[in-house]
Amino acid sequence: MSLPVIGFAGMTHLGLNSAVGSAAKGFEVVCFDPSEGLAADLAAGRLPVLEPQLAELRAEHADRLRFTADVRDLARCDVVYVAPDVPTDDRGGSDLGPLTALLDRVDAALGERTVRVVLSQVPPGFTRARVRPGVPLYYQVETLIFGRAIERVMHPERYIVGCEDPATPLPDAYAAYLGAFGCPILPMRYESAELAKISINCCLVASISVANTLGELCERIGADWSEIAPALKLDRRIGPYSYLSPGLGISGGNLERDLATVCRLADAAGTDAGVVRAWIDNSRHRKDWPLAELHRVVLPVIARPRIALWGLTYKEDTHSTKNSPALAFLDAVRPFPVRAFDPAIGPQAEWHPDLTAAADPVDACRGADVLAILTPWAEFRRQSPAAVAEALAGRVVIDPYRVLDPAACRAAGLTHLTLGAPA
Amino acid sequence: MLHHTLDTPQDPARVVVLGARGFIGAALVEALTAAGTPVLAPGSNELDLGAADAADRLAGMLRPDDSLVVLAALTPDKGRDIATLMRNLRMGEAVCGAVGRVPVAHVIYMSSDAVYPFTTGRITEETPAACTDLYGVMHRTREIMFESAVKGPLAILRSTLVYGAADTHNSYGANRFRRLALKDGKITLGGGGEETRDHLFVDDAVAVLTALLRRRTAGLANLATGRSVTFDELARMVAAQCTPPAEVIHTARTSPVTHRHFDVTALHKAFPEFRFTPLEEGIARVHRQVTEQAGQG
Repeated sequence: MSLPVIGFAGMTHLGLNSAVGSAAKGFEVVCFDPSEGLAADLAAGRLPVLEPQLAELRAEHADRLRFTADVRDLARCDVVYVAPDVPTDDRGGSDLGPLTALLDRVDAALGERTVRVVLSQVPPGFTRARVRPGVPLYYQVETLIFGRAIERVMHPERYIVGCEDPATPLPDAYAAYLGAFGCPILPMRYESAELAKISINCCLVASISVANTLGELCERIGADWSEIAPALKLDRRIGPYSYLSPGLGISGGNLERDLATVCRLADAAGTDAGVVRAWIDNSRHRKDWPLAELHRVVLPVIARPRIALWGLTYKEDTHSTKNSPALAFLDAVRPFPVRAFDPAIGPQAEWHPDLTAAADPVDACRGADVLAILTPWAEFRRQSPAAVAEALAGRVVIDPYRVLDPAACRAAGLTHLTLGAPA
Repeated sequence: MLHHTLDTPQDPARVVVLGARGFIGAALVEALTAAGTPVLAPGSNELDLGAADAADRLAGMLRPDDSLVVLAALTPDKGRDIATLMRNLRMGEAVCGAVGRVPVAHVIYMSSDAVYPFTTGRITEETPAACTDLYGVMHRTREIMFESAVKGPLAILRSTLVYGAADTHNSYGANRFRRLALKDGKITLGGGGEETRDHLFVDDAVAVLTALLRRRTAGLANLATGRSVTFDELARMVAAQCTPPAEVIHTARTSPVTHRHFDVTALHKAFPEFRFTPLEEGIARVHRQVTEQAGQG
């Protein structure tokens, strides 16, 4: 049997990375997006998102990738994934309108035997509501991680596949495609798969919340979470890959969306979601940590500090600023001048009335009273604390993610403030 | 969360202060007057908020461009019983009736942290207001009354313990400790004084009120410094001001230890440049004021 032809509809972060990863795995891939401009940009190698290996793989496997704005080009595919990113609002609500519209459009262009797979994240109940007799429809859990999207596509841990009837074998083309990645395939009913995705994210948030809650306690009682976390990871019940680094709350939109979905479903069903609401509260609380440190340490001494800011995106290796702690910080320090550097994006005037762009990290520090490092880009880890100390006028470094080495900072005469450790 | 109705600070046309003879009210009137802001501060002979015609009388005093600061309340030292609760609610009813008839430009209601229970040590504006005594019930009820009656910008401040030389309430905290230290040379604590509380200097309370007035700020915020100390630490700070230092005495504990720490992020975000007076500095300033007034040196 020849390899199936795979289609992807919706060329935002999820669809684009999934398509390029599939081509790299040897499949012929048709990439559809209703935007002619976007399809043309992608065909020319102009990529709208930043991900490690994405540009290189797109170029290397260009002969197996066809970008098109004509939905009819999907008709020759054996399996078509519908994978637009689902936009979320500030309260974690999903806008499923664009996904539904794209599904309708793709559905109409495909033959009845073509396998449709919803890859975008949808709430429980969404997929079953779209079932039509005789038309194969599946929901597949995506586990994209911003900044590691290609790696996740090429080396999945398992496939979770939501089915109308999990006892019925997957269609040959779909099974052949998934089988090429050499990982377990877990068919289950639609609702289970839809909730499995949310369950994964709840486990991640639970771990993050443990780290944040106990890390904050460390800051007050003289313990250091960086000493505790490795011990926990050696516990088999917790595991070496557990999310135990303290952070500035959850960001990016997807985790927030899942927590909001659980609360909504639990409220409607009359089940307890108190712990989920506690995670949300803790996330909100920790997002303000840099501001609290600024008020605690810097502002009592300097009435109008000049602030150096490293990082604007919500995490490293992405362009996204969705719920970014850096932007929340900027909004709360509007009276004070800020000079910022981010490897991926430049500052925007609407974020702050006195925000200027620096040429590089050290340039951002020149003459500043305090440095805040709010995105843990790898580039920042390579900066010398001595160079930072020389450039700064002040001594305080607010470094939640421990990007700079605390001992080297102290040796350079800096006051290094970090999550999970006493100042 | 607080939000500013005015993008840039602006002096209020006139500030009407209810409760102007009280500890915070008097300090606010003094500060506003010193800044040249027109103030109407009716005394109880001009306006008895407990009287049957109070709403009419207040409505007759109000102008649409007024900013109204409501500090008037019978505090726990005046009574903790049902009768005091009902008198306080009638005062709130009168003020709400007046602003219903004559809507004003801005209303600030000074509530209290008594609306919060002691079931958790950390308090934010999201902490459920689950009152455990009638004083807390009174403030929570009045908050809801004002939210219902005020159609324009309304700010509600839930204040922690306030200290200052002119305090009249003598509640457990810095003010009583100072009086005990000066009178008896010793401060007697309940238990070891392990409870943590946030203590706000009256000048800072006035400064926050003034900042809200100038931006016509609306919303809910806790009025606290964000730094809590134990009663024992506080007592020792007060005791150290005396010559010789007053003695701090611990007693057998009769009630459970409770803690209260305020998250003041909402104030930080609304007023990034505002600084609270450090507790040690505030305690020292109050002691100087009191001893100078008493001529004790």
